[in-house]
Amino acid sequence: MAEAMADSYSQDSEPTTRTLLRRVLDTADTRTPQRRRSAGIGAQKSLLETPSSRRLSSSTKTNARRRSQRARSIGRLAHVQTSGHLEEQTPRTLLKNILLTAPESSIMMPESVVKPVPTPQVVQSSRQESIRGSLELQLPELEPPTTLALGLLAPGRRKRKLRLSVFQQGIDQGLPLSQEPCGNTSASSLTSSLNLTFATPLQPQSVHRPGLARRPPTRRAVDVGAFLQDLQDTSLALASPGNSLRTPVATLPTDTVLEDTQPFSQPLVGHSPSVYHSLPCLSYTEAKDAEKAVSHRTQRSGPKLQNHSPVKPAQLLAGKSKKVDALAMSFPNTSSAIAGEDEVEPLQGGVGENAEERMEESLSVSEVKDTTGTQGSVRTDKSDRNETSEAVEAKEPEGSSGDENISGRTASPELASSTTEFLQARQLQFLESAPPPSTAILSSEPLEPLPTRLPPRARTLGPRPRQDPHKTGLNHYVKLFSFYAKMPMEKKALEMVEKCLDKYFQHLCDDLEVFAAHAGRKTVRPEDLELLMRRQGLVNDQVSLHVLVERHLPLEYRQLLIPCAFSGNTVFPAQ
Amino acid sequence: MAPSTTVSQRKKIKRKAPRGFLKRVFKRQKPHLRLETSGDLLVHLNCLLFVQRLAEESRMSAFENKCGVIKKEHVQAAAKVILKKSRG
Repeated sequence: MAEAMADSYSQDSEPTTRTLLRRVLDTADTRTPQRRRSAGIGAQKSLLETPSSRRLSSSTKTNARRRSQRARSIGRLAHVQTSGHLEEQTPRTLLKNILLTAPESSIMMPESVVKPVPTPQVVQSSRQESIRGSLELQLPELEPPTTLALGLLAPGRRKRKLRLSVFQQGIDQGLPLSQEPCGNTSASSLTSSLNLTFATPLQPQSVHRPGLARRPPTRRAVDVGAFLQDLQDTSLALASPGNSLRTPVATLPTDTVLEDTQPFSQPLVGHSPSVYHSLPCLSYTEAKDAEKAVSHRTQRSGPKLQNHSPVKPAQLLAGKSKKVDALAMSFPNTSSAIAGEDEVEPLQGGVGENAEERMEESLSVSEVKDTTGTQGSVRTDKSDRNETSEAVEAKEPEGSSGDENISGRTASPELASSTTEFLQARQLQFLESAPPPSTAILSSEPLEPLPTRLPPRARTLGPRPRQDPHKTGLNHYVKLFSFYAKMPMEKKALEMVEKCLDKYFQHLCDDLEVFAAHAGRKTVRPEDLELLMRRQGLVNDQVSLHVLVERHLPLEYRQLLIPCAFSGNTVFPAQ
Repeated sequence: MAPSTTVSQRKKIKRKAPRGFLKRVFKRQKPHLRLETSGDLLVHLNCLLFVQRLAEESRMSAFENKCGVIKKEHVQAAAKVILKKSRG
């Protein structure tokens, strides 16, 4: 049985230590050593164990593992057999027993090998075959210290390398990589030679580790072809229901504009789904139109989107009121003309990119209010504007939504000169930014130039108090007071400090005036200041003004105050 | 360096001098006078020292009253003393 098992073992691995030992067994003569059992067994076993174990341990963990797996199951049998064979102690029998029990001993010796064994066992069981052949060929080359070093060095590395081999297998088999792909280089190195260089794996790992790398922002690529298809499909569908959709959209925003003062108004809750439908369709239309200068616009859109997104809510309210008035006043043709003019102006200003979009949106809204018959003319106007607005892109989702409105209206792929990037940006930010506010914005977009960002805030600043700059300057010193006090203070105490500071400044100015007048001057010079400080007791014979300057003022001021010699025989500040 | 400069700062303290503010204050008080550029910084230095002394005095008066919080009365008492001292 043992021999059968041994044969089975040998068949699995051809050039293995097992085969070598088997050959030895076959060729060697059977002798009956007359030695004591225990000593003989122990000695021979130890003798035979060391080379076998060395070889076994030199082989990679895979071998050990495989053998361990089998050995454990068979070890008990071998033990029984060895005990049975104790009566006939021959080298042959001993070798046979060793062959059977070799895995056990090999497992016991390099414990470090055993530790990583159970963990990657599951994963690496598959790849043992592939590696075994290449590794075992190099068994004689290896030295025990290297094996020990292998075992002692970070087992994690072994894990990595083992996983790499799995990765390699996966690559060969086309399996998806679940583990670190960085093991490529190390895996190759592993298979190529067992002279493991433990330094190298770290670098490729860090380089190839996807988790550490900065991922570029995931941008959904816009399939222009699909978009165009959808455009055509949906544009027709939008043609009829578009009007019905627009009217409620138009009415609601105006109401909300007048009533709602929140930065993010949510008037179109009911219409949001409809808007959603229209918006993606519009986006498609825009994608169709936006085939030119895609790259050019992306660059502009990128930063602009970021800039404008925070501005958007602020501007909404401000522009809404204006828009509403404009809309109420205007009527389709005339309004469009006026709007066109207004659009042109902001365009010229360079800021009206978004404004233009919004104007278009507002126009669209106003048109919706009017008869649909005028829409055709407006559409043409809008298309013209769209053409002109190509250069000027509304990077905000508002603008995109505005384009959507227009394009949705026209129900034709001609409109919306916005680019695919619009869509991309919109897709990125669209869902994130509340669509309801965007739809609300559609009706009226602020005409104001973007630089005026905060005024539309709902806060009522009111009249600027005259004391304001004076207070802020005093507050600077009040903060310093609270800092120097290092204790919690009441608000009233801080007000008291302000009063004290006021008084102090008055005293200061009076004193300086007196000193300057005493010196017959009309300008207050630093000497007057020094005299003041001397009289206050801050500057005395022990402590000079320069010392105080050095102590309390930052370096930049110190350079300005204290004369210092510079190169070229110059002194700054000049005395 | 003086201990005041080495105090650990939990909150950021601007070390910049509000030069515009100081110039404006001086101009408002004494429109017929002019203030030199460097004088501006020395005025700021003077203010700093004044505020330091005021804060120190307020702390002392708060300690004397065995109070953990600086109150208006403490500041008032301290201001009396320090303003008297600061008279040129």
